Amino acid sequence: MTKAVWSAAAAAATVLFVASPVLAQSVDTKTLNVSATVSARAKLTLSAASVSFADADPDLTPSIAATPLTVDVKTRTGNAGNVTLTVLADGDLMSGSDPIAISNLTWTTGAGLSAGTMSKTAAVTLGSWTGSGNHNNMSQTYALANSWTYAVGSYAAVVTYTLTAP
Amino acid sequence: MIAATPVAAQTQTTTATISANVGTLATLTLSSANVSFPDADPDAVPQVAALGGPLSITAKARATRLSQVLLTVQANGPLRSGLDTIAVSAITWTSTGAGFVAGTLSSTTDVLVGSWTGSGTRSGTQDLMFQNLWTYASGTYTATLTYTLSAP
Repeated sequence: MTKAVWSAAAAAATVLFVASPVLAQSVDTKTLNVSATVSARAKLTLSAASVSFADADPDLTPSIAATPLTVDVKTRTGNAGNVTLTVLADGDLMSGSDPIAISNLTWTTGAGLSAGTMSKTAAVTLGSWTGSGNHNNMSQTYALANSWTYAVGSYAAVVTYTLTAP
Repeated sequence: MIAATPVAAQTQTTTATISANVGTLATLTLSSANVSFPDADPDAVPQVAALGGPLSITAKARATRLSQVLLTVQANGPLRSGLDTIAVSAITWTSTGAGFVAGTLSSTTDVLVGSWTGSGTRSGTQDLMFQNLWTYASGTYTATLTYTLSAP
């Protein structure tokens, strides 16, 4: 008997289960701290690793031009950072023991770079910029002064380009 | 002869009113409170992934039937390193998990991270990426993102 009574009561309770809706909106927030590290970087690209000058008659071709180099510069630096690109030769043009003074090597440039004369003692500025950025497709064309005084030979020197982004 | 007179069973019924108050509720969990992007060569890594991998997100909501549960995010401003800034639109994300969507961060408007209908527990991931450009000034940039889960 008792069991029957409570079964009925339980059934009634089940039917009368009521959920009262609460209309207020619930909100939860979380914060996420984001950090990004941007370090100073310098990337220099030359279109060729070598430049050559063909033999020529000094009277007809007093200055021998080489195929232009394309110079690409990419840097990341401080907002007011001074970016510099310099060149320095390891010595004179040499053929065995015969030298041609490296100062006979000069260059002209397109926009973004500066013309100059090669040195083996002090880095020569080829370009300078302020701050980060890309400077692409800049042109540098070397020329070698052609003189009757040069000894016959095949001359070579190594030029080092240095891009600095502080 | 013994006669057994059956006694009629007596039944009593009563009712009990049980009420349960189920209010709206929203609980948001992020797997980390910090995300960092390492330095990288912009040519080699144009999109930098966050260290530690994707952010895991759990959004629990009790909402009004058929209502829209929304998870949004907004930055407090651009990424800053001293006076240098990077627009927060440099941060984008892809997502996994039902209801989670890809997006681009903003500091001016809430951007949708996920949306669902009605109550439930939803889990997914958000893979944050940082657009890596040569034009950025060097520095360590920071910003704060606020994720908001709303259950109407």
